[in-house]
Amino acid sequence: MSTKGEKERIELLQGTLDLLILRTLRSGPAHGHAIAKVIEHNSQDVLLVEQGSLYPALHRLIKRGWISAEEGTSENNRRAKFYRLTAKGRKQLQVETGKWEKLAGAIARVLNPARDEGRS
Amino acid sequence: MSDPLDHLEDEFRDHIERETRDNMDRGMSPAEARTAAVRKFGNVTRTMENTRAVWRPVWVEQLLQDVQHGGRMLRRNPGFALVVVLTLALAIGLNTVVFSVVNAVLIRPLPYPHADRLVWVTEANSLLKSEMVAGVDYLDWKAQATSFDELVAYGYFPGTLKTETGAEAHWFAQVTSNFWNLSGARAELGSLFADREHAGLVLSDSLFERQFGRNSGIVGRTVALNGERLTVVGVLSPGFHFALPQSLQGIGPRGPARKEIDAYILDRLAPGSETRHGPMSIQLLVGRLKAGVSAASANAELRGIQARIARENPGVRYDLQSVRVMPLQEKLVGAARPALLILLGAVAFVLLIACVNIASLLLARAASRRKEIAVRAAIGAGKWRVARQFAGENLALALLGGTAGLILGRSIVALLARSAPQAVPRLGEANLDWRVALFAFGITLCAGAITGLSPVVSLWQAGFLEDLKQGGKTSAAAAPGLRLRRLLVAVEMALAIVLLTGAGLLVHSFWRMNAHPPGFDPERTLSVQLMLTGPRYHALPQQQAFYRDLLSRIERLPGVLAAGVTYTPVHGLIRKEGDSMQLSAQRRVGAYTVVSPGFARVLGIRLMQGRWLSEHEAGPAVMINESCARLLFGNSDPISRRIVAPLLAPAPQDIPATVVGVVGDLKYTRLDADPDPEVYIPYLKTTLLPVAGVMVRTTAEASRIAPAVRAQITEMDATQTPGEMRTLQDSLAETIAPRRFNLFLFGIFAAAALLLALVGIYGVMAYAVTQRTHEIGVRAALGASQSQMVWLVVRQSMRVALAGVCIGLFAALGLTRLMASLLYEVKPFDPVSYAAVSLILIATALVGSWIPARVAAHVDPLVALRFE
Repeated sequence: MSTKGEKERIELLQGTLDLLILRTLRSGPAHGHAIAKVIEHNSQDVLLVEQGSLYPALHRLIKRGWISAEEGTSENNRRAKFYRLTAKGRKQLQVETGKWEKLAGAIARVLNPARDEGRS
Repeated sequence: MSDPLDHLEDEFRDHIERETRDNMDRGMSPAEARTAAVRKFGNVTRTMENTRAVWRPVWVEQLLQDVQHGGRMLRRNPGFALVVVLTLALAIGLNTVVFSVVNAVLIRPLPYPHADRLVWVTEANSLLKSEMVAGVDYLDWKAQATSFDELVAYGYFPGTLKTETGAEAHWFAQVTSNFWNLSGARAELGSLFADREHAGLVLSDSLFERQFGRNSGIVGRTVALNGERLTVVGVLSPGFHFALPQSLQGIGPRGPARKEIDAYILDRLAPGSETRHGPMSIQLLVGRLKAGVSAASANAELRGIQARIARENPGVRYDLQSVRVMPLQEKLVGAARPALLILLGAVAFVLLIACVNIASLLLARAASRRKEIAVRAAIGAGKWRVARQFAGENLALALLGGTAGLILGRSIVALLARSAPQAVPRLGEANLDWRVALFAFGITLCAGAITGLSPVVSLWQAGFLEDLKQGGKTSAAAAPGLRLRRLLVAVEMALAIVLLTGAGLLVHSFWRMNAHPPGFDPERTLSVQLMLTGPRYHALPQQQAFYRDLLSRIERLPGVLAAGVTYTPVHGLIRKEGDSMQLSAQRRVGAYTVVSPGFARVLGIRLMQGRWLSEHEAGPAVMINESCARLLFGNSDPISRRIVAPLLAPAPQDIPATVVGVVGDLKYTRLDADPDPEVYIPYLKTTLLPVAGVMVRTTAEASRIAPAVRAQITEMDATQTPGEMRTLQDSLAETIAPRRFNLFLFGIFAAAALLLALVGIYGVMAYAVTQRTHEIGVRAALGASQSQMVWLVVRQSMRVALAGVCIGLFAALGLTRLMASLLYEVKPFDPVSYAAVSLILIATALVGSWIPARVAAHVDPLVALRFE
């Protein structure tokens, strides 16, 4: 498996990590390392999760009630902490996704006006 | 749901391990894989901190920010920070010291089990002011009273402990065997003696170390204590101290200083050996009350028992005594309480002065930071936020100062406990414990809050934005601030003068205490405790012969001017021939002091009337001192009058003796009490008490003659060992150790107050000159001379100082009255002290304004007029 060079990697914007975590947890509970892996893998290693900021972000989400933490046993029978999306978090994910798509679309239109004009 | 912060560290470790495994799957070597994983995770501690921070309430977060911001501001102005921190450290350090002492002496319970139930049990004699119990009464009380778990009898005495390797003088206690139970003592080695174990000796850990070098073979060995053979049965555990009162008031030298007790013997009280009519032992008693019994009800019970004893023994005089049961803590430290509370009050003044000083400094700084604050307000900081930022700064300062103060206090406490452990009972136990730490933290926060208030208030009143518009020009805006600062400095001076007056009164008292008449030179007087032991000295003639020989030998030594012998003065009723023994008659108390002819020359006692006592008086004769003459004979001539004294005729009995001479009063046993009325009895005409004092007056420093005196004693009889040998100055100094302690601390407080006042007046004057540079420049340009400029500044500072001095003197008049008990021959309103401290403070104000005045005098008008 190849890794991308440092230059091609993008550090996450403030706040976007929360969204990505919520999205990752939609497919089921996961522990911290798995969340980081999934984000990096699904972005084809473009997005670099600075692991130091992952945990504060997880706790921020717990504090807001969007995810919950529970003790569990991992695949190799060791104790691990699993994070799970709550109902409130699921709703929030929709809101955040909506916001993000709007924002991304808007930025894309600004960056590439010609294609946008062509469409309209 | 569990706390999400649980096992955070495990989770991180787990994360790094998974990453490592992933890396190894990608083909890295194990070491490489781990390094990469760790690097990718980043700083574990910081991540942990950030994760925790998510859960912290907002106000904590902001407080930390404010303190951090405060720290940054202080780093930008380190001089200011240093002055504030040092000022606070000084004040908090001194407060910590006094509180540590108060804590050790007044607050912390005694180091014995159930300390709250321990009581001092005694028969108080109101006339002799003595507190002691006859052994026979103790035995009855112990048998009949039901209020006590334990009732312990004890006493203490000096002695010489002789082993095969040498002899050393120590202090010993004799205790009934239930003392071990009462005190919770445990034996580290061997055992503690039980009832009837008459020949047992128990050593303290410190004696075990000093004289026996921790050689455990000593247990079971025979030693000699004052000539009596005893067996060492045990050694006490380290840290055990004798903590019972040592107060044989009324007999012996008044209020001997506390001695560290080095070994214990059994108090041989047996029902058979104690009588009410013949010789009886004198005991001190401490009891432990049964749970739920109050001291008052124990007192009532003992009074009942004692009344019955008095009824059953009509011939014995119990009418002068009354039973007294009081909490032991009260007995031990009650006398020290007023002085300690005064010290606590005085040191609070130091803190107050420091706070005023810092408030004044902060005020000046706030004035010069108006612009910065205005900018902050303009970009959206609310009043509260700005105030909080100030509070953060102050808190940072206060915490720094408090920490420094705690460190300073700790070292002073250690110094005090080491250098003067006997000055105040239990002072040796003073240290920093949680109570002291809590106290220091508390006053630190208070100081931070008090000092932080002034700038905040001043900012509150002034509109923030006004300042921005004014561009930070301060000439007009700062005037009210300056007025406030002058007021603060005046207050500071007033506080300082109260402290200075207190210290001045103590210094004056101290000086009065140490004032000796010419001829009395305690530094050149050696006092040697000697106790003749062994069968050779059972009879009086042998004792007398020994002392006569010894005195003449010592007087022949080079460097010796005179030698005399005396015995512990005995206090008792003194009366003229013919005075009734009836209790209704006037009761006069004085001391009977046994002296040899050389004694007067040793102490430099002056003959006022009549003649000296000689070695061979034909009939019964005594000398008296002036106090005694006044007491017994008023203004009439005492010579050839007769006084009843205990003399040999030839058996010891009270007989009338002729007064042959009157000598001047002399304080040679205590410095801080008036001399007792004294009757001097010739030493060859009375029975000797066991502990004799040989006094030697020398031409040079007295301690240098000690080895020669010791050699003379050994040469005469190698079985006799001298006890304590020291200069009279040392023993006298010991009698005023508590006063010296008070003076020492008070002196430090006053010096600190003076220093702070100096800094305060300098700060305000320097600031005032800076503020008025423009004006001064104008004056200079208009032709004002340098001396006029100096006067301008000095006049201002004098106004502040004089206002402070006036307020302070009034306050001092009121407050120093509380100190009356600490003074000696000095009235709380002592004109000398008041005048002296006023002058000192005014001089301080002059010094403080000198540099600013010089600056003002040398202002260059051209520079000054451009100054903003």
